[in-house]
Amino acid sequence: MLEIKGLTKHFGGLAAVTEFDMSIYSGEVVGLIGPNGAGKTTMFNLITGFIPPTKGHILFEQVNITGKATHAIAAKGIVRTFQQNAFLPDMTVLQNVLTSCYLHPKSGVWEAIFNTPGYRKKEQKALHHAMEIIEFLGMDSVSDELAQSLPHGYQRLIGIAIALSANPKLLLLDEPLAGMNANEVNETLIFIKKIRSVGTTVLLVEHNMRAVMKICDRVVVINFGKKIAEGLPQKVKRNKDVIEAYLGVSEDAA
Amino acid sequence: MNVVQFAHGEIYMLGAYCSYFLIKLYGFSFWEALPLSALLVGLLGIVLERFFFRPFRGRFEPSIIVAVGLMLLLQTIAVVGFGTDTKSMGGIIPGVLKVSGVTLSWDRLIAILVGIILVAALFLLIKKTKTGQAMVAISQDIYAASLQGIDVNRISAFAMVIGCALAAIAGSLMGSIFSTSPFMGTSAITKGIAVIILGGLGSIPGAVVGGFILGLIDGLIPPLLSSTMAGIVGFGVIIIVLILRPRGLFGHE
Amino acid sequence: MNKATQFIKPVSYPVLILVLFLIPLFTKDAYLLHILIMTGINIILAISLRAIATTGQMSLAHAGFMAIGAYTSALLVKKLGLSFWAALPLGGITAALIALLVGYPFVRVKRVYFAMLTLFLGAVIRLIIMEWRNLTRGSSGLLNIPPPNSLNFFGLYNIVFDSKVPYYYLILVLMLITLLFLYRIDSSRVGRTLLAIQQDDSVAESVGINVTNFKVLAWCLGCFFAGIAGSFYAHFIKTLTPDSFGVLQAIYVVVYMVVGGRRRFYGAILGAFILTLLPEFFRILKEYQPFVFVGILLIITFFLPGGLADLPKLGASMLRRLKGPSVNHA
Repeated sequence: MLEIKGLTKHFGGLAAVTEFDMSIYSGEVVGLIGPNGAGKTTMFNLITGFIPPTKGHILFEQVNITGKATHAIAAKGIVRTFQQNAFLPDMTVLQNVLTSCYLHPKSGVWEAIFNTPGYRKKEQKALHHAMEIIEFLGMDSVSDELAQSLPHGYQRLIGIAIALSANPKLLLLDEPLAGMNANEVNETLIFIKKIRSVGTTVLLVEHNMRAVMKICDRVVVINFGKKIAEGLPQKVKRNKDVIEAYLGVSEDAA
Repeated sequence: MNVVQFAHGEIYMLGAYCSYFLIKLYGFSFWEALPLSALLVGLLGIVLERFFFRPFRGRFEPSIIVAVGLMLLLQTIAVVGFGTDTKSMGGIIPGVLKVSGVTLSWDRLIAILVGIILVAALFLLIKKTKTGQAMVAISQDIYAASLQGIDVNRISAFAMVIGCALAAIAGSLMGSIFSTSPFMGTSAITKGIAVIILGGLGSIPGAVVGGFILGLIDGLIPPLLSSTMAGIVGFGVIIIVLILRPRGLFGHE
Repeated sequence: MNKATQFIKPVSYPVLILVLFLIPLFTKDAYLLHILIMTGINIILAISLRAIATTGQMSLAHAGFMAIGAYTSALLVKKLGLSFWAALPLGGITAALIALLVGYPFVRVKRVYFAMLTLFLGAVIRLIIMEWRNLTRGSSGLLNIPPPNSLNFFGLYNIVFDSKVPYYYLILVLMLITLLFLYRIDSSRVGRTLLAIQQDDSVAESVGINVTNFKVLAWCLGCFFAGIAGSFYAHFIKTLTPDSFGVLQAIYVVVYMVVGGRRRFYGAILGAFILTLLPEFFRILKEYQPFVFVGILLIITFFLPGGLADLPKLGASMLRRLKGPSVNHA
């Protein structure tokens, strides 16, 4: 589904990502792991068009998306979450999720202004869709609360809800479990499993190794911008290079 | 300190008036009045920072509104208190200097000299002293700076004092070379903002370069075209630069 | 919302509008009508500035775009003999086109720089007007701008613009159209998208929203209505000088919006209304008058940062506190 070949990104003199190759197949949950500063978020930014690569290309469903604008890539079906501030603070949860219903159903500006019946039907559909997502993630009790007044765990869920509501084919989750306690982690893992079960492919950046082992079909390891290992989670865990890269970092980072 | 001080032009104007009154009413000489007015206006700065800017630290919109309000307030106080007519302070040093056929007036030369010294001093202050470095730290990340043990309140007040004192000196100099009026602050602040935006926020060398460029435009274009063209060209240059380099020439924010 | 408010809300707007239409029947005082007309102009300016501000961008060039609309309309009528009724929309369209010209590069910069860019743009517009004397007669001003052409309805009604009253109705209609249009946008998904962009444009971008296009849309829309307000102004005051469209005026519009409250739609209306009307009461103070303006400004900033529109919320929370803790304490 997603093919990355020779991806390279230089920031001035610093090589953040070097000659990175990776493939993601439809329906899997892939984990992208590596020590801090290894280039994971840069990878996300490159894939979703937030920054253009220096070299290499990215193919999504056989279409070259290298260097395209983020919103165009999102329209094609790749949506990401963010490590921090993944939500719209001064709006309700419902409004947050409705934001990504912009593309489906699509409507013109004039339609909206004149409040045509066609537009109103589209709004209903969007509302319905948003509530579905909210219920899917178990947030229907707080759907009318302002996002900034909710506890941290909910806020991360809102970020996922926004991304999910855009009907992604490939969902990129940037450290979704950061700052969560054990209960919240388990709940979120259940959600990710549910997301996979409706056909969405997931690429996940995480530090929580136990979670990664539990949920990922495959794991890709990055360090200093280079791929150093790839394969089944259990195998990668025992890979010498990987252990070396993580020397000093506890496996139970949670 | 991440404060958009629109009222700075009025501080400049107040510095000029302060010197004016010190000279005319209390008989100080210019060189005595200058540091005194800088001191007095600097003290005013402490009050302003404490009551007008500190409550809104970090919030963009209220800060601008307060600055604008302060600007109108100070200007109106000046109009009401000092009258709208322009006043003259008397030159710093009368006479001119003739150099290879070019006539330069002493007072403008002195103003330039004072300007250079003060900018250099400010630059050294920021780069070499702990206080200066604290100011840079605060402008980058106020939270991290306070965690490092920097007393944000004290440093902010200090920055304000320095800024106001410098503005007062500038105002006194300009007021004596040209004239003093309650409205002199508006053109000063417009030029000032233009210079630092062109040079890039947070960069003193940028401000110097920006000042040179705009100063040259202001000086060369009016004799050739007109003074309004100077404004058009000046602003046009800034707009184009900002489009090409969204942070100004040397900005690093 | 209890039963009383549920009943009041939908009825109050038509009643208000009716009252506004009936005012000239009760008073022919030219001074009062003049102030109301200026209020109408300021409301259009404030609400259109708010439209730009919904994406988080603060424009300090609004007076400049008003000037573009004003001069365009005045010149089209004076030099080309166009009818006012054609010149009015053309004034707005010209303003929008110029906004579009600078829009794309402008919206890409960070918010602080955007504000500065618009500040300089407004200054440049004013300077260009002063400089282009062949066209605009510079600082001497454009004089003797004709009033709007008389309207003839079915050969029966003839509306001649020879007193304040027709102007009043015209600005009332223009204002209502502007408010309706912008309100519809604001409460639709377009408005929601603009608000999302203001809160976090990366998130918006990541779900497929073309942030740049939307920012330009909001910007051009706001500038269009500023141009319309300017066109009306030109044919109402009948004289134009570049000094009426400087940075100070642009800042005034920002103040109207902020004092009224940026968040809620009616905030800008309230701000423009109060800050146009109130200083008139203090006109006797003459040069002390700006103190009133500044005073209101500072009081609002210190005590009501959300603007006057926050008063109902504040009142409600104070009432709640007075009533004391209840069982449903959240």
